[in-house]
Amino acid sequence: MALNNILRNTLQGFSKISYKSSARVFSTSIPQLNKKEVEITFVRASGERIKTKGKVGDSLLDVVVNNDVDLDGFGACEGTLTCSTCHLIFSKKVFDSLPEKATDEELDMLDLAYELKDTSRLGCQIILSEKLDGLEVKVPATINDQRSS
Amino acid sequence: MSKKKLVQAFRRAISSTPKQKVRVLSASDKLDVLPYSEVPGPKPIPLLGNNWRFLPLVGDFQIEHIDKVSFRLYKKFGKIVKMEGLLGRPDMVFLFDPDDIEKVFRQEDSMPLRPSMPSLNYYKHVYRKEFFGNVGGVIAVHGENWQKFRSKVNQIMMQPRAAKMYVKAIESTSQEFINRIKQLKDDQDEVPKDFLNEIHKWSLEAIAKVALDQRLGCFDQTADPNTQKLIDAVNTFFINVPVLELKIPFWKLFNTPTFVKYINALETIREICMKYINHALKNPKKEENAELSVLQRVLKMDNDSKLASILALDMFLVGIDTTSNAVASILYQLSQHEEKQENLHREILRILPETNSQLTSEKLEQMNYLKACIKETMRLKPVVIGNGRCTTSDSIIAGYEIPKGVQIIFQHYVISNLDEYFTDSAKFMPERWLKTCPMSKEHHPFASLPFGFGKRMCLGRRFADLEIQTVLAKIIRNFKVEYHYKELDYHIHPMYTPNGPLKFKFVERK
Repeated sequence: MALNNILRNTLQGFSKISYKSSARVFSTSIPQLNKKEVEITFVRASGERIKTKGKVGDSLLDVVVNNDVDLDGFGACEGTLTCSTCHLIFSKKVFDSLPEKATDEELDMLDLAYELKDTSRLGCQIILSEKLDGLEVKVPATINDQRSS
Repeated sequence: MSKKKLVQAFRRAISSTPKQKVRVLSASDKLDVLPYSEVPGPKPIPLLGNNWRFLPLVGDFQIEHIDKVSFRLYKKFGKIVKMEGLLGRPDMVFLFDPDDIEKVFRQEDSMPLRPSMPSLNYYKHVYRKEFFGNVGGVIAVHGENWQKFRSKVNQIMMQPRAAKMYVKAIESTSQEFINRIKQLKDDQDEVPKDFLNEIHKWSLEAIAKVALDQRLGCFDQTADPNTQKLIDAVNTFFINVPVLELKIPFWKLFNTPTFVKYINALETIREICMKYINHALKNPKKEENAELSVLQRVLKMDNDSKLASILALDMFLVGIDTTSNAVASILYQLSQHEEKQENLHREILRILPETNSQLTSEKLEQMNYLKACIKETMRLKPVVIGNGRCTTSDSIIAGYEIPKGVQIIFQHYVISNLDEYFTDSAKFMPERWLKTCPMSKEHHPFASLPFGFGKRMCLGRRFADLEIQTVLAKIIRNFKVEYHYKELDYHIHPMYTPNGPLKFKFVERK
């Protein structure tokens, strides 16, 4: 645990401004070593499918950042629940099975999401578990897609 | 994650090169875009521009009544209004349509520019350059310096679970406030006319607890006179901001009396706060389990006492009056709407059966009606009546070409008081914010945004929410709040707040 803290601090020293570094301060998950990977598919509004992998314990926002998934403007607020750019739409079945229901803070931001659906959640609040292996989530159209089309 | 990945992720996050020179906000806007010169608004006169409108006697715009001025402009000119010819500052364009506000927010790039306070900018970057260096904090700081600072403190300030760790600390200062109210009220249960100042004390005490883990003892008989000096200086600072910003800015040429007062207030705030901050830096908590202050958390993350101090300083500068005026306004609204206050009391009584039942974040999570009362007051009488962004490239907004560098002002106060956006907008109806109420689906999500939205949302929001919820839950559990004088008008002071002595009656509950 002590080593882990030293590693974290060193990492923070290097990457002065990154989302990940500061997020670590409040990470409640167990250390990153030997964690199981699960498969996630992001489906864009255009129908394009992006298959990627994420570690159990990471959030869907972490998955996008760690794998450099090219989603314009995704996660602008670094997972601090002040925007709704990591808005994702789940299937009804997965949505109902998610262990943590949205908090007030998340609901407030969801109200401000573009193309809000009944099964919408914010990616930064969804933590990967083994149960979510093979997950498919829809990435709603953004105003930017509308602009370039 | 590798260091390379981190750097890449960061680069992507801050790359701000606009993809197109002129940003088109929606497909339909392309068809008939009108030039900037056509945006309606009051015409400036030669030499004096539009600033003369804020002069005493001849001007028809009084700073204290910008709320009413904004309404007049909307009625006369419509949903977009240009205020041009303001000497020494960019043009302002007022938006009165939540659709347009939504578009501006959604188009926001990685470093949103928030138009604010050239006078504070001057203080931080010119007058006290040697103190602030390039760590300006968040207020009146822009671009990469803002981005770096915000990103460093974001998780500590904005993560909901991070703020919730301070429930206990805030509850203890709120309990002190309850005791103070009991001590202050006379045999008619009424508090003295400077009650707002008592709320300021509570607010200062709460910030000191969260930011520094220090008890200042504002309510004590032997209170350090510096606490009142600090409260007064923050008041002076805020009252002079709009004067310096909206009247003819002679301060840019020579030291006007207002400017001298303003700078002196900022110096007082900086000196007193730095005394407390330095004390906290020298005396960190030793116990393992104690909640770390925000200051200590920042230090633990990044051993930079400058960064930690300047964050704490900004918390004192803009966290006292905003929160306390919100509490004053909500108490006033509840005193005017007895039935709503009873609903609220019932909810709180269910969750806190005893007057001294302990609060937890789980209990606060259940207080939906309390949050609805807060939201409803912030809709009807938002403490900060508007918000804004500076255009960072040429844009098209509401069908007009808007050049780079214009200040877009979101007129939330006017919008949220129009029946077009809120049914019976003049009525205090907390129910409209309850998820279980069909009315909660009716309003435009961008109509009322008391803390803003996106990357530049109010950095103190979590603590403000927590402080306001906690103190109100305690007050309403302990007292029935009444007000027996003539109805109060609101004024811009520059928080939007009831104008008059807050001689509330606090009737004890069992």
